[in-house]
Amino acid sequence: MSSLPRRIIKETQRLMQEPVPGINAIPDENNARYFHVIVTGPNDSPFEGGVFKLELFLPEDYPMSAPKVRFITKIYHPNIDRLGRICLDVLKDKWSPALQIRTILLSIQALLSAPNPDDPLANDVAELWKVNEAEAIRNAREWTQKYAVED
Amino acid sequence: MESDIEMELESDNDGEYDDDYDYYNTGEDCDVERLDPKRADPEYFEYDCLTVEDIEKLLNELVEKLNTILQITPSLAKVLLLEHQWNNTVVVEKYRQDANALLVTARIKPPTSSADAASTSAAAAAQLLKMGSSGYKAPPAVGGNANTPPYRSQMCPVCASSQLGDKFYSLACGHSFCKDCWTMYFETQIFQGISIQIGCMAPMCNVRVPEDLVLTLVTRPVMRDKYQQFAFKDYVKSHPELRFCPGPNCQIIVQSSEISAKRAICKVCRTGFCFKCGMDYHAPTDCQVIKKWLTKCADDSETANYISAHTKDCPKCHICIEKNGGCNHMQCFNCKHDFCWMCLGDWKTHGSEYYECSRYKDNPNIANESVHVQAREALKKYLHYYERWENHSKSLKLEQQTIERLRQRINTKVMNGSGTWIDWQYLFNAAGLLAKCRYTLQYTYPYAYYMEAGSRKNLFEYQQAQLEAEIENLSWKIERAETTDLGDLENQMDIAEKRRTTLLKDFFPVAV
Ligand SMILES: [Zn+2]
Ligand SMILES: [Zn+2]
Ligand SMILES: [Zn+2]
Ligand SMILES: [Zn+2]
Ligand SMILES: [Zn+2]
Ligand SMILES: [Zn+2]
Repeated sequence: MSSLPRRIIKETQRLMQEPVPGINAIPDENNARYFHVIVTGPNDSPFEGGVFKLELFLPEDYPMSAPKVRFITKIYHPNIDRLGRICLDVLKDKWSPALQIRTILLSIQALLSAPNPDDPLANDVAELWKVNEAEAIRNAREWTQKYAVED
Repeated sequence: MESDIEMELESDNDGEYDDDYDYYNTGEDCDVERLDPKRADPEYFEYDCLTVEDIEKLLNELVEKLNTILQITPSLAKVLLLEHQWNNTVVVEKYRQDANALLVTARIKPPTSSADAASTSAAAAAQLLKMGSSGYKAPPAVGGNANTPPYRSQMCPVCASSQLGDKFYSLACGHSFCKDCWTMYFETQIFQGISIQIGCMAPMCNVRVPEDLVLTLVTRPVMRDKYQQFAFKDYVKSHPELRFCPGPNCQIIVQSSEISAKRAICKVCRTGFCFKCGMDYHAPTDCQVIKKWLTKCADDSETANYISAHTKDCPKCHICIEKNGGCNHMQCFNCKHDFCWMCLGDWKTHGSEYYECSRYKDNPNIANESVHVQAREALKKYLHYYERWENHSKSLKLEQQTIERLRQRINTKVMNGSGTWIDWQYLFNAAGLLAKCRYTLQYTYPYAYYMEAGSRKNLFEYQQAQLEAEIENLSWKIERAETTDLGDLENQMDIAEKRRTTLLKDFFPVAV
C-alpha cells in the first residue's frame, strides 16, 4: 500500500486532538483510510438522544474526490435511504478538495437538524415529511428509540 | 444530365435525392419561385458541412476580433464568447455597459460585495482585463501587492504541505493552492469530461478556471488533448449556428444561420437530421411534440406491441395474408378482394372521395363517460395513431426492399440488352420520391395526435388523407412498375409530391 498522504495524516491528527462536539471519528487499526464514526442526534431534533454509527472511507484520489460516507444505524430521514446512503450536495457535485472530513461530518450533523424533503433520497419518507410532518417526526423519534438508543 | 443549373440549386438543400431530382421543378413552377426557393419549397434549407479545422478557424477569428477590441487574452475571450452564443456585439456592448457584471456572470470574477467599492467599478474590471493576465495569478506576476511574497512559505489547504509562495496559483477570487494540487485537480476534472466549466477548488467558489491556466499546469499530452477536445465540444454546442453531425463517428459540423427544424443532410456520411433538435427529421411535427411522442411510444411500447402483426386475415374470405410490400392497398391472393391493410375497409371506399382511414373519430360524449371508459378511449386513440405511425415506418423499410429487388431485375434486363440503366432511371426516381412522401406521412401522425379538435385539425386530416391516398397509389404503381405506363407514373409522382408540399406549406411551422 502506498504511504498515507500528508493531508490525511494532518486531518486525522486534528480530528483526534480537537474533536467536534457530538462527533467522534476514529481511524481503523488496519486501514488509515477507513473511519468509524459516531454522530449523536442534535438537540431539538427527532434524532435527539440517538447515537448513530457511520462509516467513512477516503478513496485513493482523496481529496480530489469526496469521502464515501454511509449510516450504519437505521435512521428515518428523507435524505438518507434504507442502505444508509446520504443525499448531500457536498458529497457529490459540491465537493471541493479543500473540504475536510470534519466539514463533511458537520454537514451530516446539520442535515439531522434540518431534513430537506424537497431533495429526497428516501421517497416515501420525504413524501410523508411533506404531507404530514408531525407523523414523520413521530416516526423518526420511534426509529431513534428503537435503533439508535442503547439500553 | 439535362439541367446542370437545377442540379446545383437542389444539391444544397436536398442532397439525399441529388441524382434524381429533375421531376421536382417541373409543371407549374415559375421562374419567380425558382429565384426564391424559400417560397417554392417549405423544406428549403441552406447550410454548410464543415470540418473541425474549418470550425476552429471560424471560432478563432471571433476570438481574435474580440481580443483586438477589448485587449484581452484569447483564453478570456473564449469564455466571454461561450457565455454569449459567440456574439461579439453582445459581449462588447455588455462590456461597455458594465464590465464588472459581465465578468461576474461569466464566472471570471467572484460576485463582489457592495462594500467592496473599488472592484464594483468598471474601471477595476477593465484593469483586471488589461493586466494581460487571464484572471489568474501566476507566481511571477504576484508582485508587491500579493498577500504572500514569493519567498515566504505558505500552507496549501488541499495537500496540507508548506511550500514557497512561488508554487502557488490563484484565480480572481484569491483562493490560493499549490501547483501540484491544481494540476491533480485539473486532471481529475478532465478525466470526468469537464473542461471550460472547471471551477475554483475552494468550497462554494464558482470562479471559472481559464483555459490558459489549465494548459500551463497540465503537461501530460493525453490530458491536454482530452481537455482541448472537450473544450471544443463545449464551444460548438454553445454556438447556436453549429451542430455536430449525429452520424456514427462522423466529424462533420453543420453550420446554418437559419436555426429551425429543417433537415440537414451530412455531405460526408449522408446522415439526415433536424437541425434544431438533432433528432431524425420530423416535419411537419415540431421538435417538442416529436420528443413528447417518442417518449410516449417508448413508455407504452408494451401496450403497442400486440398490434405490430405481419399477418392479417382477408376481410372477405378470411384467408391469412402476409404483408411483404410497403403498399397498404392490399389485394387478397385468394379472392382478389381489394382492401386496406390499416383499417381492413374496402379499398374502393378509400379512393377519391374522402379517405377516412387516417382520421380518428373522437367519442363526442366522452366528457360524460366514466373514468374507466375515458381511459380506454385514450388508449384507443393513441393506438390508432401509433399503429399508423408504426405501419408507415415499416412500409418505408419494405419499399426499400422492393427497390432492391427491382434493381436486381433491371440489372438482369440491362445485361440481356433490354434497355439501358438510363431507360430505367425514372423508376428509381419514383421510388426515391415515394420514400420521401411516406416519411413525411409517417410524421403527420404524431402531429395529428397532439392537435386540438377543430377546423384546423379537420383541414390537416383532410390533407393527410389526400396525401395518404396518393402515396398508396404511387406505391401500388411502383410495385407493378414494369407494367405501368410511364406517363401515368410520372403524373402520380407529381400529384403525391404536390400533396406533400401543400401540407408542409400549411402546417410545418419553421418561421424563426
Ligand atoms: Zn497543495
Ligand atoms: Zn475561488
Ligand atoms: Zn456526418
Ligand atoms: Zn427537431
Ligand atoms: Zn380474400
Ligand atoms: Zn384504411
